Amino acid sequence: MTVLEGQPQPVQRMSLGAGWRRAWRTGDWWRHLGLGGFLFFMFLPFIITIIISFKDIPQFDHYPFTVTFPLHPDNYLEAWRIVSRYILNSIITSGTSVVGMVILAAIAAWAFARYPFPGRELFFFGVLALLMVPGELTLIPAFLLVKDLGLLNTRWVLIAPYIAGGQVFAIFILRQFFEALPGEMFEAARIDGANELQVFRHIGIPLSQSILGVVAIMHVLSTWNDVIWPLVTLRSNELMTLTIGLYAFRTAWYTIWGPLMAGYVIASIPLIILFAFTSRLFVEGLSSGAIKM
Amino acid sequence: MTTEEIRAPASSATMADLRAPRERQATLGQRIYRYRFVYLMLVPTFALLLTFNYYPAFMGLYRAFFKWDIGLQPEFLGLGNFEKLFIKDDTFIKSLRHVSLLTSWRVISAVTFPFIVAELIFNLRSNVHKYTYRVLTILPAVVPGIVILLLWQFIYDGTHGLLNAFLEGVGLEDWQQPWLGSPKTALYAVTFMGFPWVGGVTVLIYLAGLQGISDEVIDSSLVDGCSGLRRIFSIDIPLILGQFKLIIVLAVIGGLQGWVAVFVMTAGGPGTASMVPGLWMYNNAFLWNKMGYASAIGMFLFVLIMGLTIINVKFVKTGDY
Repeated sequence: MTVLEGQPQPVQRMSLGAGWRRAWRTGDWWRHLGLGGFLFFMFLPFIITIIISFKDIPQFDHYPFTVTFPLHPDNYLEAWRIVSRYILNSIITSGTSVVGMVILAAIAAWAFARYPFPGRELFFFGVLALLMVPGELTLIPAFLLVKDLGLLNTRWVLIAPYIAGGQVFAIFILRQFFEALPGEMFEAARIDGANELQVFRHIGIPLSQSILGVVAIMHVLSTWNDVIWPLVTLRSNELMTLTIGLYAFRTAWYTIWGPLMAGYVIASIPLIILFAFTSRLFVEGLSSGAIKM
Repeated sequence: MTTEEIRAPASSATMADLRAPRERQATLGQRIYRYRFVYLMLVPTFALLLTFNYYPAFMGLYRAFFKWDIGLQPEFLGLGNFEKLFIKDDTFIKSLRHVSLLTSWRVISAVTFPFIVAELIFNLRSNVHKYTYRVLTILPAVVPGIVILLLWQFIYDGTHGLLNAFLEGVGLEDWQQPWLGSPKTALYAVTFMGFPWVGGVTVLIYLAGLQGISDEVIDSSLVDGCSGLRRIFSIDIPLILGQFKLIIVLAVIGGLQGWVAVFVMTAGGPGTASMVPGLWMYNNAFLWNKMGYASAIGMFLFVLIMGLTIINVKFVKTGDY
């Protein structure tokens, strides 16, 4: 199993001469057509959402799916007043847990990857086995646990289990990456007098930025999208994350489609911004064989 | 805080400590002592895993054999919960049929549509185009899942929905339905949402596999006159079976765990027309406080997911080239 072998090489198969070249070129138009068709239907719901988000109620009643004038950007103000708190809550929750998770997972994965300590495989299996445990099995006891711990309806009820659970997959991915790093470099640093922590902080971490980024993004995506855990553990509106906040918003504003759709658009923006800044990490990470069986 | 914890022991472990083991046979105790800072590195991770993962997992398995209502003393039932589940609980049996339909469609759609898109992108000549399409296909995956579910709820809406408006537009008014509100269509509406069923991450996994095929194999296949569909079936698919296997495992797990979508879209209704086991567990636990009975459903799902994953990994053969 290989992890992040850098950017995949472009496939050089046009080297077979002009005949093939022409065949491929003339063949490409229907590929663009096919992809365009798929993409059109993939994006259609989002386009219609944006169109509806600028409508007031009569406009929606008469022309629901076409652009109508005047546009009503005030829908966004209205939606922002409701959704902004949920976005902030989600940023706090996902942000705190991703920092904690990456730090703990990197330390543990480094221990598993670089030190042949007694019991290493056993402990590692202890982490890996949790990949097989579905949330359905743990949902109820975990709920009763946080209830007994008095964490219900606090921020920690989300953050602590997210850090705990997120580590599992991250350790699995990071260990493989750390193991593949060239050992000579660390040996050299040690000879130059670096201690173990310095080796980890000043050589290991800088070499692993991309994979750490991939792991962090995947964690943010999964915690950001979690529905059930916040739904059962949070009661107060002040603490609700985006998913359950939107769900409540939908129930309360059903049929007032303009502001509702504006809320959906606003809710999508934070992750799109994150993606815009990290799309390379994102795409390369997922497509370079980081995940494969 | 965690870096503080490892700093002290880490600095005390000198180079000699770490390089010694090859030179002489140390006793287990000595080896454990030498790596004491490594165990310290693992303490925070395992403290959290034991609390929030291991304890609930074992508790879930254990309490599945109890009648366990909140506020009351748990009462041991043996296999009572499972007996009730499979013999008396008609809704549960019905939910099994529903989840098989949902999961089957998930598997079928995950091995076809995203693969077609991956092949289309892979065979494009221009690397710039390839990159653009990759970003465009992954983009919808960034929109929060809940937004997509709520949008599909709107698409299926009986009075304002996009689907009914489309049917009216093409002259099929008779087919109009409150798609999620009618017992006849609710389950199918939930199953087939997400048209055109192209998951961006799935496409990227296939693409990673296709890009991993060596140029020599593709070049020699072209020399031998093997191209187009023939190449896809006799070269591409056999060479990326590993990716297919992963996608199938993920689709099966996703199907069995995908009850959140049902919860948001129909809450299992109308009545129990679109009930699935995960949601039935949720209802038993959080609506009716039957924690033991719900734990039994959770244990059943755990065994089912694990069994199917093992079967898939073991018996679906991967070609190693």
